Amino acid sequence: MFWLGIQGQCPGQGGKGQGNAVACQSHRFLVSASYQYTIHACGSLSDHWREGSLKNISQGTMASAERLVTTWMASGRDEEVAEAVTEVSDGRLLGLVKALGTYLTSEEDALRTKGVDFLATVISSCPPNALNRQSVKVLTAFFCDKLDDTETIVPALKGLASLPPICAQGDALVIVNAVFKHVNMRALVQSVRFLVFSIIDGLIAHHRETLKEMKRAFIAPYIALADGEKDPRNLLVAFAIARVILIEFDPAEHIEALSNILFCYFPITFRPPPNDPYGISADDLRVALRQCLCAHPAFGPLAIPIFLEKLAAGSPTIKRDTLDALTACFPVYGRALARMEARKLWNAIKLEIFQPIDPTTEAAALLTLQALVVTIHAADDDGDAEEVKGLAHDACEECIGILREPEKSMAKPAIKVLCAFVATTPSVARYTLAHAVPHLLKLLADPNEVPTRHPVLLLLSDLIAAAREAGKADSNVISESSNDISESAPPLAPYKDAVLGALVSGVAAPATTRAALAGLTGLVSTPRLLSDAELGFVVLKVNEVLERCFEEGGADDSNAILKLLMTISSTAPTHVRDLTLPMLLRALPASAPPRAADAERTRYQHVLSALSTLSTPPPLCETLVAGLVPLIGALALGDSPQEDSAMPPPQDADDSEPAAAYLHALLATLRRTLAGKVDDGHADVAGYADTLVPVLYGLAVRAALHGHAGTPMREPRVLGVVGEIVGLVVQSLGPARQQTFAAALVPAFLEGKIAAICAAEHVSSDDRFLPFTADAPPAVRNLLVLFEAGVVPLDPTVALSADTSACAEAVLERGLAHAETARQAEAVCRVVGSIVNKHVDELAPFLEHKEMTYWAERVADPTSGPVRRREAIRAWTWICKGLLVRNHPRAGAFVERLFSVFGDADKAVGAEAAKAFGELAAADGVLTKRNKAVVKFLWAQKFASGILPRLMGGARDGSDPAQQHAHLIALTALLKAIPHAAYAHEMAQLLPLLMRALQLPDAQIRSGVLETLLASVSASLPTSGSAPASTPLPPSSSPSPALAEHAPALARQVLAHAAPPKDAPTSVRTRLAALRLLAALPAAVRYAVLHPARPAVLRGLAAALDDPRRAVRREAVDAREIWFKYTG
Amino acid sequence: MVEIFNPNPTIFAPVKPLKCSKTDSLWVSDPSDPRADGDEAESEELIDQDEIFDLIRSIYDPEHPNTLEELRVVSAPQITVSGNRVMVEFTPTVPHCGMSTLIGLSIRVRLLRALPSRFKIDITLKPGSHQSELAVNKQLNDKERVAAALENPVLVQTLEQSLVNASLRGQPAED
Repeated sequence: MFWLGIQGQCPGQGGKGQGNAVACQSHRFLVSASYQYTIHACGSLSDHWREGSLKNISQGTMASAERLVTTWMASGRDEEVAEAVTEVSDGRLLGLVKALGTYLTSEEDALRTKGVDFLATVISSCPPNALNRQSVKVLTAFFCDKLDDTETIVPALKGLASLPPICAQGDALVIVNAVFKHVNMRALVQSVRFLVFSIIDGLIAHHRETLKEMKRAFIAPYIALADGEKDPRNLLVAFAIARVILIEFDPAEHIEALSNILFCYFPITFRPPPNDPYGISADDLRVALRQCLCAHPAFGPLAIPIFLEKLAAGSPTIKRDTLDALTACFPVYGRALARMEARKLWNAIKLEIFQPIDPTTEAAALLTLQALVVTIHAADDDGDAEEVKGLAHDACEECIGILREPEKSMAKPAIKVLCAFVATTPSVARYTLAHAVPHLLKLLADPNEVPTRHPVLLLLSDLIAAAREAGKADSNVISESSNDISESAPPLAPYKDAVLGALVSGVAAPATTRAALAGLTGLVSTPRLLSDAELGFVVLKVNEVLERCFEEGGADDSNAILKLLMTISSTAPTHVRDLTLPMLLRALPASAPPRAADAERTRYQHVLSALSTLSTPPPLCETLVAGLVPLIGALALGDSPQEDSAMPPPQDADDSEPAAAYLHALLATLRRTLAGKVDDGHADVAGYADTLVPVLYGLAVRAALHGHAGTPMREPRVLGVVGEIVGLVVQSLGPARQQTFAAALVPAFLEGKIAAICAAEHVSSDDRFLPFTADAPPAVRNLLVLFEAGVVPLDPTVALSADTSACAEAVLERGLAHAETARQAEAVCRVVGSIVNKHVDELAPFLEHKEMTYWAERVADPTSGPVRRREAIRAWTWICKGLLVRNHPRAGAFVERLFSVFGDADKAVGAEAAKAFGELAAADGVLTKRNKAVVKFLWAQKFASGILPRLMGGARDGSDPAQQHAHLIALTALLKAIPHAAYAHEMAQLLPLLMRALQLPDAQIRSGVLETLLASVSASLPTSGSAPASTPLPPSSSPSPALAEHAPALARQVLAHAAPPKDAPTSVRTRLAALRLLAALPAAVRYAVLHPARPAVLRGLAAALDDPRRAVRREAVDAREIWFKYTG
Repeated sequence: MVEIFNPNPTIFAPVKPLKCSKTDSLWVSDPSDPRADGDEAESEELIDQDEIFDLIRSIYDPEHPNTLEELRVVSAPQITVSGNRVMVEFTPTVPHCGMSTLIGLSIRVRLLRALPSRFKIDITLKPGSHQSELAVNKQLNDKERVAAALENPVLVQTLEQSLVNASLRGQPAED
């Protein structure tokens, strides 16, 4: 049921207070009901009107009103009420009353109740302007009369409840007095009590002044009325009323009585019943009650002992509620009381901070402490008040005493308390910092305390961060009132030099580097604290540590250092540019370290990752490019300066891989930096189209034409990164600039006019560069990747050539005909896909040819050879995709062709066509918004939902095994590529198919299926599957029934992939996916369903614990932990 | 309130996390590149002391909201792996710590669940670190007493409480 337990007793009961006795007796409110049937009063209602102005009522309306009343009496339908409301709204209330007359005064109880009920229902449904002043007055009197009658009190209250907004001042008095006189709350059920509270609430809302003038005559009876209420719905209203009384009325002489009807509810322990239709939460009640408890300062002396008692003995929820209430109450209860009780309060709150039950309670306790300190010390700020007395002083002393042992666990809460103090009033903050900072500095300087320097620095950095936040809050306040932000010095300013010195010396010592870095980060991010020169000093010192990090090969501290440097460069980039970047660039070796030099390689990788992290801001990026380009130029062509020196190369000259890897790393650094800039929307990326891009093209072309087999710039992986850099730069060009670029790019690759896009020092116009011809050497043809990089990001408005169709045809035919590697063919296909997507309207002949002849000749014809056929399918896929992404009507016909080879005699061709469905639906790096492709909203979902039923049907149809096999592959490939939501509704049918696909021999397909299953299992969880191996969540309210049905079989099948028997074909990816899926199952399926599988899974996972790969073992441990905790 | 054996223990900085062995790769791999996670040769990575330390470092102390690593109860050098034998030594924060058996038991349960069954696991107190060292060692390595302890539902609940974040492996808990 819907009851609220009244907690505890009246405050101070059993104690010394004498006055309490009265309040506690009030529960024994006697039911003094001597009901008399005062029917005569009812008859007077129509008489009132006869005296009024409404005498001319036609017989017709009378008749209709009578008809309404008699019908309603018989049926009780809403239609009659609605009609009566129209009647009354038209000014014919009297007619209705006359018609009701006999019922209103009937001797029979049931009829009387019904009569009054009908009137009340009609009145409460009337629009507010339907009744005139006189009618309201009469209705008020009538309903008030009816309160005296046990049979009519309920409908009468209902009628009264709608009157407060429209009644006059005098009527309000009548209502409130009648309610107080006649209503006995204990005799009424909840819904009726709710009406009573609503009436009072309405009167308070509309006639507050009238009620205020009643003073005692209102407050005392109201307290009696509200006493003993237990229903949460009523209490919400009662609390709202009590708050108004406490704040606006003059409740001084009723404080004790009011506290009795409020504090008896504290703390709220109400728990809403399941499926509560009223939606009242315990928090609603808590907040409403809290608003009352903190509504009057006179509650203070009574409240503090109650709060302290609840805080000491309560559960975590009660503790939190009490702390929140205290936080709200301190400012109201006032400074004097807070001062008096400070010691007791501090002792109680301290316990919650130093031995916290949970982090939330701890945070609440800290807030309460802050409120207390602010209340006590807010007034201290008048003078400069160097010496703070009272609580802040004592508590500070106590915490600093604890900080004498900074390495102990109690030091942490102590510093939290001090940090909380810093965020209170300026004077307390000054005082706290003035004591805590020198104390910590002294500890740092003490040679006996060397082992504790690390924790001390951590404590200090907490304090610095707190001071920074406090300073920010202050400056916000100041900036609201006036504009002299620059005037206020940060609270830490007086200790700046000493703190900076301590941190800088701390950062130099390896044991304390990390803590000191945290402190420095706090220091440099404090606005207006450090001068420009000091920032430079910090950068200089930190550079030394960074260098040391690279020497030691440890990347642990370097992340923190980079974070610090990035914080600095966000305000003062010049220091990082002038000091850090040159240092890092100098640290790069001039030539690649040999294969065996692991340490050196790791070092340059760390340096480069630091460079790319730091160099995103425009001026820094410029320095980076200027520093790296000469190095790249020197490395790219393989003639490193090392060869000039007398020293012979340390290893055989054939091993060019380290050099290529180094070049790759350098270029990857540029790529990472530029990608970061593109993400942040920096405008200076476009500028590199004139500087960086020609140099890179030039180097690549020169290496391809004049280099030898080992030239680093010929390495495909290097060219891949170059392509990505070019792509990033071209993406950020405007359409006009892209047009000039394209006008040079297309002839460069198709007609050999390569010099136009290359830097002059690398390529002359005599160089013959024709990658699309049959006699082009492989190195030249590898540069198709760079063609792709330049073409793919072009805007649809950019014209590639006069005849786009012929251009696309040429690229496809000549490119694919001679492609030797998969990457070359892929580059051609991507270019074609991009052109199709952007220029489909100009490509009619091209597409016509493809549909009519290309498919028949290249794919369907088995004589063209398996390799070429598969290549043609890939090209076909990209053409399809170009069309699909923009929802082009021709796409359907192109996709349709893929099905025609599913049953091909060459299984590999069928599989290739099937896998194309995954490729079609997957997101790729080519047809994206950034590459200006025409991408329609939700195209993949649309495609998938159209094709899914057909694939499922094909995969189920066992009449032709080859067809079925291909459909199954296509289905798994498609599901892998699309988000779970696109196929969630089909899960019941898909699960058996997916489980069958798990038995396919192809490891890649199997891991794809496992990942699809994982995605669908995690999607059915209430929270996303991001939580690591924590306790399994209780299964969501509606786990997918399909999943539940197949879960035990699925678990066993997946287990076989997680811990495969010896010599079974497997891969790390499959095992990882299987283990992750197993780990996700318990959270998604009820224990009752899956428990039979538990022993088998635990046993199977025990085998997976001995996997040769560490990453797999790790997943296995986590999965097994989850299954161990999986209990009913 | 039960007796607290060490109300204010020393908190140590966490050890640097396990370094991933990527140094043998000549090429920089890009974490954003999905092609990077291909399986190269199935080279075997043996279970070593760091891996075992990773398993037990985030077990909570039964008395404090700190991990065994933060209190230096366990550390990587105190673990030895030789063949199918694992020796784990741990150091209680105070010599009269009555929770030592519970700590040892939680380490044992974690390793029972997370290590392959081919290992024989010995869990001992650091010599000289506890006043009833022998008794505790005996209790922790007695198969039947451990099995009996794990039949006690209250005790198992306490253990689960200690192990609740064990899978974090030294990473800070997220809020």
